[in-house]
Amino acid sequence: MSYALRRLAHSLFVLWAVVTILFLMFRLMPGNPLAAYINEQLSENDQRLIMAQFGLDRPLHEQYVIYIWNLVQGNLGMSFFRREPVWDVLKSALPNTLILTTTGLVLAYAFGVLAGAWLATKRGTMAEAVIVPAALATRAAPEFWIGMILLTIFAFSLGWFPAGGANSAGAAYASEWSRILSRDFALHLFLPALTLALYLQGLPLLLMRSTMLEILHDEFITMARIKGLSPWRITLHHAARNALLPVVTAFALGLGATLGGNVVVETVFSWPGLGRLLVAAVAQSDYPLAQGAFFLISLVLVTLNFIVDIVYGWLDPRVSHG
Amino acid sequence: MSAVVSRRQSILAMMGAAAMSATALSGPAFAQAAGDPIRKIVLITDTQGAVPQAYQAAQLIAQAWRQLGLDVEARPMARQAQTDLVWFNRDKWDTTMWRMVGRPERSDPDEMTFNLFHSSTAPRGFNFVGYNSPEYDKIAEQQRQTVDAAARQKLIRQAQEIVSRDAPYAFLVHPNTLQAFNQTVFDPATIVVQKGVGIRNFWTFIGATPKGQQKAMIINSGTALQAIHPLYIAGAPDSWMNELIWDRLVRIGPDGLPRPWAAESFKFADEKTVDVTIRGDMKFHDGKPVTIEDVIFSYEAPLTTDKSPMFKPFVTDIDRIEKTGERSMRIHLKRTNAAFATTALGRVFIVPKHVWEPHLKSVEGKPDTLESIRDPMNVGSGPFRQVRARLNEEVVIERHADHWAAPKVDRVILRVIPNAEAVVGMVRSGEINLLSEYGGDPDVLEKLSKDNPAIKLTQVTDVGIEFMAFNHRRPPFDDPAFRNALSAAIDRNVLIQAAWNGYAVRSVSHVSPAIDFWHSTEVAPPPTGMNLAKEMLQKAGYTVVGGRLRYPAGKKEALQPPG
Repeated sequence: MSYALRRLAHSLFVLWAVVTILFLMFRLMPGNPLAAYINEQLSENDQRLIMAQFGLDRPLHEQYVIYIWNLVQGNLGMSFFRREPVWDVLKSALPNTLILTTTGLVLAYAFGVLAGAWLATKRGTMAEAVIVPAALATRAAPEFWIGMILLTIFAFSLGWFPAGGANSAGAAYASEWSRILSRDFALHLFLPALTLALYLQGLPLLLMRSTMLEILHDEFITMARIKGLSPWRITLHHAARNALLPVVTAFALGLGATLGGNVVVETVFSWPGLGRLLVAAVAQSDYPLAQGAFFLISLVLVTLNFIVDIVYGWLDPRVSHG
Repeated sequence: MSAVVSRRQSILAMMGAAAMSATALSGPAFAQAAGDPIRKIVLITDTQGAVPQAYQAAQLIAQAWRQLGLDVEARPMARQAQTDLVWFNRDKWDTTMWRMVGRPERSDPDEMTFNLFHSSTAPRGFNFVGYNSPEYDKIAEQQRQTVDAAARQKLIRQAQEIVSRDAPYAFLVHPNTLQAFNQTVFDPATIVVQKGVGIRNFWTFIGATPKGQQKAMIINSGTALQAIHPLYIAGAPDSWMNELIWDRLVRIGPDGLPRPWAAESFKFADEKTVDVTIRGDMKFHDGKPVTIEDVIFSYEAPLTTDKSPMFKPFVTDIDRIEKTGERSMRIHLKRTNAAFATTALGRVFIVPKHVWEPHLKSVEGKPDTLESIRDPMNVGSGPFRQVRARLNEEVVIERHADHWAAPKVDRVILRVIPNAEAVVGMVRSGEINLLSEYGGDPDVLEKLSKDNPAIKLTQVTDVGIEFMAFNHRRPPFDDPAFRNALSAAIDRNVLIQAAWNGYAVRSVSHVSPAIDFWHSTEVAPPPTGMNLAKEMLQKAGYTVVGGRLRYPAGKKEALQPPG
């Protein structure tokens, strides 16, 4: 229990540090959010009004206290440019990003785990000589390049999939759920999710393979062989289950990291997600929106990290007593 | 793409060769009594990612200036940082790439003529270069007070002559706007090309006539929208939607000149009084009639309160407004403004008083303004009404059948597509049927149009200008001869080919040839050439000693290069 509390305190401290760094980073960056407002006839008084409305006329420490106080109450502030609560802006992009990220990750990890486990049994064969470099190459290829190739083949040439967006032009749905569950949405999701999956599959594949290689030399595997179990049963039931632990950790952290790192895929496929929103907010010095988006991503990352820590402690008591 | 790259590379290679030979020309012959060497000049430019054309142009310009014996650093800066420096730290930079983008209301030359170069806007306004000419000021003021179009035209053209002579900027180009539409979907005769703006304009939106089953016009924007709001000015695509949802008294016609719209008529009763009569057949999207009270409210909200700061500049010339009849009002001006129809009547949106008056009361005495208040229905009286707005993704508006100029298309769908290559694919597949914005390689679009007869390409010269701004507050840029010589060293044809891929025309002044009524054809493009530039400098007393350009005799360098 005290272990969980320690981890929780640690997580909260990390979040506070992230929030503080974010706050300072944006305000110390060159560039004035007003610069985007330049209007040839905007008088000094009008400019002052806008500054006051944003609270930018107050000293930095006051802005910080207000910011933290609002955050504790769950208020992320108002976007400078959208003139809407930050949460409302993020809320509109979050489902698209979560669906794209989880679909991409699940595809990548499902493929990576199975292929990695299989490859571990093919040490020194032709399959290894071909697949390992291929996986590495796909992992290293830029996402936009993979994305553009998929677009060129499947959207522009074959016309099987739409070239961008999350829904067809003008498509209307009764609810957010009916939109997300529609065939149209799935068609739009396919190429960006595949791009993400191709980009992400390298890590689980190689991780699974190397862990499996270690485990396959363990004594309990030798024991299983002596018992006369079939090679597939040994690979899947005995070795793979044990090799999964680090892959699960990578998945949880990957989810958090990918959440904000989808900018490229989102841009190539015009996917209306969090990444593009974040880049636009930073470019415009929309402090509240950028901070809100980064905060949300850190929150997911820290929470997943916390859960992984707790689950690890539970799975392997050496961790929590270490 | 590769053809473009190789064209650019060969031009750059030629420039390099020219640089070698030109250095050989400058010799100790210039080394007479000389002033101090001119400090290192910093040339600020947009980053390559943000505006590749400007970045490329800046590299070429820096290369040309180095041949004059200047030590030049081309320094790319992110947009915000660049604006922050140029706009808010006016004495801390030397030269910068800058642009005035084309907007329909810039079809009236007042903004470009007065705001850019009148000395009153030097401290905080748009005259950020600090140009100061009493002769010019007088003409800029006169054109504003001259209601007679022919007389004003003469003044506007005179202003162009002065600007061309004094070279407050090195004018570079007016870019060409490339757009396209599917002529199997829309009757090409109903697609309107607006001067300086192109086919994505109000007149196309209401006039485009579908030929077949596809009744929706699907257009694109590379950036997400920020707010659809009648009292808030955000990005460009936001304004495309705003001007379809909310009507204005006056709209800028395809010819670039203001024409009555929601106003049945408007006329100057005298130089400081404007009489406006509105149409009697207008309805808001919620079915309520548009009254003169709504119109007066729309102008008074920014005029008499601080709650609509972004629209305040448009009503700044208004003293007061008085209702003179059931459909008429009289606007009393503080000062004459010949461009009033464009800059005020053509800017303010008519909003329903019954929606916005309660909101105005709700923000009274608070720091909030109307800008952060949302009308979820976005009730206007324009030819389209809002159906839904997912600002990161798409906005759908549908025809307002009760409008007196109801559109021919059922809906306009604006899709947010940041990937320029995907946009081309979408035009080909019909996912977009009017390409309203294109930031990609022009050659790709040309090819698309050649391969697909359905896709019709349009090209117009922009009202906007790309230029190199000189900071007149910092010598030697206070010297017109120096500025003219630096401008002469820039080969515009090379820039047009290498930076703008051939899609631009040479700019001679602040008034684009796109608005031909105001543009002066008498201002000839000043001759350019490296030797000419050197002669001009020599004549003005600048000398090259040891390969380094120096001030005229007796002149000291008092400044440091910008940090």
